[in-house]
This record gives sequence, structure tokens and C-alpha cells, in this order.
Amino acid sequence: MIMSKDYQLKASINQKLIEMGERERLKELLRAKLVESGWKDQLKAHCKDVVREKGLEHVTVEDLVTEVTPKGRALVPDNVKKELLQRIRAFLAQHTAL
Amino acid sequence: MKMEDMPLSGPDNTKLEALVNDIYSELVEDACLGLCFEVHRAVKQGYFFLDETDQESMKEFEIVDQPGVDIFGQVYNQWKNKECECPNCKRLIAASRFAPHLEKCLGMGRNSSRIANRRLASNNNTSKSESDQEDNDDLNDNDWSYGAEKRGDQNSPRRSKTLKHKNGKWVRNLHPYNYNAGINYEMLGPDEVRSFLTTQCGVISEHTKKMCTRSQRCPQHTDEQRMAVRVFLLGPSAPVLPEADSVAGPESFDIPDGQALMSRLQWEDSPEISPSDSASSKASEETSGSPFPIKLRTDKEPISVSLTGTNHSDSRRPKKKKRPPLGLNSGGGIGSLSGGGGSGGSQTNISLSTKKKKPKLTAPSISSIYDDLN
Repeated sequence: MIMSKDYQLKASINQKLIEMGERERLKELLRAKLVESGWKDQLKAHCKDVVREKGLEHVTVEDLVTEVTPKGRALVPDNVKKELLQRIRAFLAQHTAL
Repeated sequence: MKMEDMPLSGPDNTKLEALVNDIYSELVEDACLGLCFEVHRAVKQGYFFLDETDQESMKEFEIVDQPGVDIFGQVYNQWKNKECECPNCKRLIAASRFAPHLEKCLGMGRNSSRIANRRLASNNNTSKSESDQEDNDDLNDNDWSYGAEKRGDQNSPRRSKTLKHKNGKWVRNLHPYNYNAGINYEMLGPDEVRSFLTTQCGVISEHTKKMCTRSQRCPQHTDEQRMAVRVFLLGPSAPVLPEADSVAGPESFDIPDGQALMSRLQWEDSPEISPSDSASSKASEETSGSPFPIKLRTDKEPISVSLTGTNHSDSRRPKKKKRPPLGLNSGGGIGSLSGGGGSGGSQTNISLSTKKKKPKLTAPSISSIYDDLN
């Protein structure tokens, strides 16, 4: 059950992230780290399997998303996850204490 | 809406932590979605499977992951410790140093001419009566390691070897000299002088004592000057002009030893000297030092034969080098040659004159000839 307060809190934090450009920075940081760690290549290979399975002509975005996203979430290396969490926490600490 | 303080309390902390995780999840999902879109587009545009070919090629270019080898499977220092034999000087050179060595050894690189000319200049300034004709290409190569041997090693087999090479080798020797404004004739051996004079003007400049490296038709010097220089350097019997030389030139290259040199010098008479004498007086010839170190390769000794005796007085230039007047070595030698000595006799004359480092062979009759050079 979503507490409206939490929801509002979350919304405002998100807003702040976006406004300050931090969200974009975090996104880029994550992407870079994932590529560096080989996560992207791993997942792409998985995509190839999916595509071959579903057939080149008929594969849809939904197919890919449903097949790939859970695996993608699981494959993120620990250090990348930790670093990102750290940065988000730091941002919150900096900007929600106001 | 009120923002919460930095949570230290339990429930808030977890809430915040949950918040952080939510944000993180959203970011990861964004990344995954991005990838999906990318892949989907690649599939639909047809370039998704482009990096895959047939099985054979795939195996051939597979990434190699072995120690000591790069990802292509090539060894890194494979050629580092291999040695190659230089076709020129027959030495064993490390592979990584081979190209620069060859450049200097053959006298064909950009630097080799510079080094050669530098060496010529330094030799002129520092060496004494013997003008050693050093093998510049080998010595260039020795610059950095055989410095001590540089001057002393005149009898090394390498020196004679280079002259025994074929025609092209000698010609190449001259190229380093040609790059600069002029060549110092004292640094050249007889055959090199001869070959040089067949292709270049060769007139010796008053100021620098260098030979003009322009063509035979160079506008700065007259044909008379060129003839004079040729007589001066090669003896009265020397072919004086390129047209005449063109036939004789190549032959001289092929004959490294002094025998043929002597025989050739004998053929012509001394009267040839006279027309060129007057010419040479016009031409500002440099005569200090030994213009013509007759390096008979068979002789194995630094030979300095110079026409400096009378020509000293001729020269109107201040002498920059401190060459002692060597007298009429070559004058005497050549004079005796032109006098019609036998080949053996002439050779011994030359060798006599050449063996003495600074003799003044008295040949008053010859000196009179050279007086005309004044």
C-alpha cells in the first residue's frame, strides 16, 4: 500500500534528481559501468538467443523486454550496484536534509 | 511538502533505503529498456547479426587469451632478440637496430649525409697530415659505439671491403657528400674523387676548400676550372672532362687497387698540365692539405699525397686547416709517372711518396710546373 506521504516524497525526490541533472548523470554512470563490466555484451548474447528463438521477422519489443529485463536486473555486478546505491544515498543526504 | 531530515531513525531509514533502491531499480530498468530498443532496431534494420559469419571464419579470428601472446595470437617481442647480418658490412645487428644501421651503412638515409658531412668537417679541423679517408658509412654507424676506434682503425678490413664492392657502392658513398654544399677533396680517395669528378663540377672553392657539387655545366665555374681541378686532383694524366671521363669513369671504379691507377696515370703526358695550370691559377683552388690522398687499398696506410708545396703559394685563401705543407708528394709522384716511369716504378714512387706522412719530395722540375699554377 502506497502511503501518500511516501509517494509524495518519492515524487519530489525524483523531481529533484531530474531538475539537478543528477538522474541523467546517474544513468550515464550506470550505463558506462555496465558496458565496462561486460554486462551489455552478456545481455546482447541473450538477446540473440531470444531473437533466434522467436524468429527474426516476428520479434517484438515486448518479447525482448519480457525476456531480457529480469535477466538484466540479475546480471548487474555487485560493485556497480553498490556504487550506484551509494551515490543515490549521497544525493539524498545532500538534498533532502534541507 | 516537507522534506525529511537525514534519516537516522529506524523506520525512516528503511523507508529511505527502500527509496534509494527504488530509484536504483528504475535506473537499471531504464538501461535494460535502452538495450532492448537498440537490439530491436538492429534486428528490424537487419544489422543485428552482421558480426557473425560462417563457423570457419569465426574460429579463425577468435580472440586469443593465452599468456605471452596478444589477442591476435602474435608474440610481442618475437623479433627483439634476433640478429640480422648486414649485407653491407657483414656484421650482426640487433633486429630493432637494423633499419637505422642499414641507413647509415649504405649512406642513404637522411641523417647519414649529415653525419658524413659533420665528420668531414671535424676531420678537416682536427686530423693532421694524414687525411684519413675513413669509411664514412661504417664510421657513421660506429659513431656511438666505436668512437675510440674511429681514427685508429684505418686498416680494418671493412675499409678495404667497401671499395671492393661494386660500382654502386662507391657511388653511394658519395651521396652523403653531395647533400651538402660541397665536398672536401681531402676526404676522398682517388677513386671516389674520380667518380665524383665525372658527375659533378668539382671545382674547388677558395673559401671553403670544398668541391662544387653542381653538375658539369654549373654556371658558377668554367670548364677550364673544372679541367684544372681534375688535373690537380687526379694528376696530369687524368681525364679532365666528363665527356672524356664517361668512358673511363666506370672502369676506374672497378679497379680498386693502385695498379690500374698507376697505369692510367702513365698514359697521358705532362704537357697536359700546362693548359690547366693557367686555368687553375684562375680557379681558386684550395691546395692546402692533401687534396688527393691516394688511398691505395692495397697499401693499408693512410696516405696523404698533396700538391700543397707550390700550391700553397698559389692559394689566395687563408688556410683554415693546419696542414703542414706536404710538399710535392703527388707532384713528384705524378711527375715521375708522367715522366714515363715504368708501372712498377711509378707505383713505388707513389707508394714512397704516400708512405711518408709529410715528405717533401724534391722534384724541382716538377715544382716549376706547379709554379705555373700561381
